[in-house]
Amino acid sequence: MFNIHRRSAVLIGAFLLLVALTACSGKEESKATAESSAQDQASAKTITISWPRDIGTMNPHTYNPSQLFAQSMLYEPLVSYGKNGKLEPALAESWDISEDGKSYTFHLRPNVKFSDGSDFNAEIVKKNFDAVLKHRDTHDWLGVVGVIDQTEAVDEHTFRLTLTEPYYPVLQDLSVVRPFRFLGEAGFPDNGDTAEGVKQAVGTGPWLLAEYKQDEYAVFKRNPNYWGNAPAIDQVTVKIIPDAETRVAAFEKGELDLIYGEGVISLDAFQELQANDEYTSKLSDPVGTRSLLLNSSNPKLADIRVRTALHQGFNKRAMVEGITSGLEEPADTILSKNYPYTDVDLKPVEYNVEQSQALLDEAGWLLPAGKTVREKDGQKLEFELIYEKTDPIQKAMAETIQAEWSQLGVQVNLTGLELTVQIKRLKANDFDLYFWYNYGAPYDPHSFVNVVSSPGFGVSETLSAIPMKQELDKSIHEVLSSTDENKRRELYRSILETLQEQSAIVPISYIKKTAVYQKKITKFEFPANRDENPFAGLETQTP
Amino acid sequence: MIRYVGKRMLAIVPIVFIATLVTFALIHISPVDPAEAYLTAAHIYPTPELLEQKRREFGLDRPLIEQYVDTLGRIARLDFGSSYLTNRPVWDEVKARLPATAELAVSSILFSVLVSVPLGVLAAVYRRGWVDLLTRAIAYFGASIPQFWLGYLLMFFFAVKLDLLPVEGRGDWRNLVLPTITLSFVLIALYTRMLRTAMSEQLDETYVRYARTRGLRERSVVLKHALKVAIMPLITSMGMNMGRLLTGTIIVEQVFSWPGFGRYFVEAIFNRDIPVIQCYVFLAACLFIVCNLIVDLIQMYMDPRILTEGRANT
Repeated sequence: MFNIHRRSAVLIGAFLLLVALTACSGKEESKATAESSAQDQASAKTITISWPRDIGTMNPHTYNPSQLFAQSMLYEPLVSYGKNGKLEPALAESWDISEDGKSYTFHLRPNVKFSDGSDFNAEIVKKNFDAVLKHRDTHDWLGVVGVIDQTEAVDEHTFRLTLTEPYYPVLQDLSVVRPFRFLGEAGFPDNGDTAEGVKQAVGTGPWLLAEYKQDEYAVFKRNPNYWGNAPAIDQVTVKIIPDAETRVAAFEKGELDLIYGEGVISLDAFQELQANDEYTSKLSDPVGTRSLLLNSSNPKLADIRVRTALHQGFNKRAMVEGITSGLEEPADTILSKNYPYTDVDLKPVEYNVEQSQALLDEAGWLLPAGKTVREKDGQKLEFELIYEKTDPIQKAMAETIQAEWSQLGVQVNLTGLELTVQIKRLKANDFDLYFWYNYGAPYDPHSFVNVVSSPGFGVSETLSAIPMKQELDKSIHEVLSSTDENKRRELYRSILETLQEQSAIVPISYIKKTAVYQKKITKFEFPANRDENPFAGLETQTP
Repeated sequence: MIRYVGKRMLAIVPIVFIATLVTFALIHISPVDPAEAYLTAAHIYPTPELLEQKRREFGLDRPLIEQYVDTLGRIARLDFGSSYLTNRPVWDEVKARLPATAELAVSSILFSVLVSVPLGVLAAVYRRGWVDLLTRAIAYFGASIPQFWLGYLLMFFFAVKLDLLPVEGRGDWRNLVLPTITLSFVLIALYTRMLRTAMSEQLDETYVRYARTRGLRERSVVLKHALKVAIMPLITSMGMNMGRLLTGTIIVEQVFSWPGFGRYFVEAIFNRDIPVIQCYVFLAACLFIVCNLIVDLIQMYMDPRILTEGRANT
């Protein structure tokens, strides 16, 4: 017989050679970078993290696909958002607000340079503002955009904003990651319109983008011209890993030093890593609230007794702990207390099935003998709950709520939708029950109250049948334009109290950011601003 | 010959036409408005004014017929426009991702052929021998293991536990090993059994017996005579698979963070990024046609009867 084994060995050998050839050709470069970064690793303080998506075009004035955390590494605001909403000087050292609340004068920090060495001054601030305001429509979601009347470079280090009407959250709005951050002169395209793209990613921030390969990685190095305290680490490498399980595998292998973000790994994986002593894990303060909207424009939900019965009728604590395994915290109030003006004592709505049943009886929804769903005037007490079909937490919560409310005699039909379709139905006020999230720091509480009063976001519609809707809207308008701090505090208290009593927005849980890191990282703190990056304050062991 | 190839290439025209028509219809039947999907993806709140402005910008406010004719015109000029989401020319984005996808596709096909041809031949020659049993086991697992799971298993074992290979990403040949094996596994399962069946049939044919009686060595009977015929269905199947692999392998790209075409396209679907979807459909149609053509040419070369029979009929 013949010896085919030898032949296949030759074939396999030839294949391996071929693979080696194809793999080497054209990739000398990336191999070289991989080696050089490995060498850097040995001599400098570097960390490697993963992110689910490409960092995007590093344009400070546009949105997706640019990633907020990366934009915030390069670009800085005039004012930054600190813990519990305290506003801190950033590129502006100080600021004056006129008596009528319509003029904001910023005294810019002197001797600030962009990463390319060019000067940061009032002129470039104005140029950035004007580039953003050229597309007011795109940025209209941010309240301050609607009220800016004029921008003015008063002198080299003084910049003034004039508003059409007073709007107190100007400084909060200017602290967000986009669009009001500053690009250096060299980054502007010839016609000055940054909406079309930027030439170079030149910012004043602590980092600069040293190397970038789309969909693969980005390397950030310390900005040598940075005005503030230089970060303790020299380099941050961001690997693009879209899959959550792969991220965990890479972390366990030691290819990653830190996994950071919201929902970046599965709950199971987080628990497993948390239990492992080799790693450190941390949860942030609440960054947002998961709520359930009970749409009062549905006649069945217009009755506060029905809404309260539903609110009381499920065991929120058990549900949140059971489903999120402690990653989220059960929420008693719509906004957590770590925003400005929200540290208000509100009466929580406690779980009480008997009271729920009594309230439904009182509202006329009775359980006919032999049936499982309550009825009134021949109508069944039945609702549709919309959830996002790719979100496992929403789905599990929707199923729990369905099961618990069925004990009350309320039928819930679940509809899983694609995100875009879901938002479309929210806007069209075509829903009964809907999972809704507020914006978080630094957007709240002012963005939250804004959607409570402005139609088109689904929240105002949810509240449309509550008896005091008009007064609520009036208070909201007042609070946003008020220049008196105490009055503002009082107004917020009354708005939050009303919303708590009405149970049309049912708080479920506070969402937290997670961080899991290797022992090599010795200090880690979550940024106060939900969209910012945590790298400037991060420390590692000396190699 | 050249005329034949030219004729086959012309088939691209009607196929692309039908493919674009179907995609165009599907995009517009879907309840999601591309302008709305863009704003959602960009994290901008879709106010009515903004939606209006975006629809105008994307040309979605024009009559459907006009939009469709415009689309066809642009495809004919190979101008795919700019992605809604990134505002960059679609072709540039596709070009940047094609090498990664092609690299993975070629290595997977090569690897699966190089493994399955010897295995299939040995399984047919030594029927019920251990190689035959092995191929049966591979076929069984190949058909039943979900690809993502196999990917995770390999990753966990070879990258995390044994620390032999990187977990993810694209770089040198070591990055290529795990995704290639994951993709090839199901192909190997298919090809081995396919070849074994065809080979067994051929080995029972009279021409093989005749060759043996002529005193030819067994090696040349098997490899030169029987294999040449038995490999034909495998080549057809390879052509189809090559087309499929070249249009992106979503699951494997996702699991191994491979910066290829599949991920990009899936995202485009969710974002209703019409220019990207159209470019993809065009490219997929072309790739399938070219792959099929290559298969036919190889078969013609290996079995000239195909060409002569074709001529006899016309």
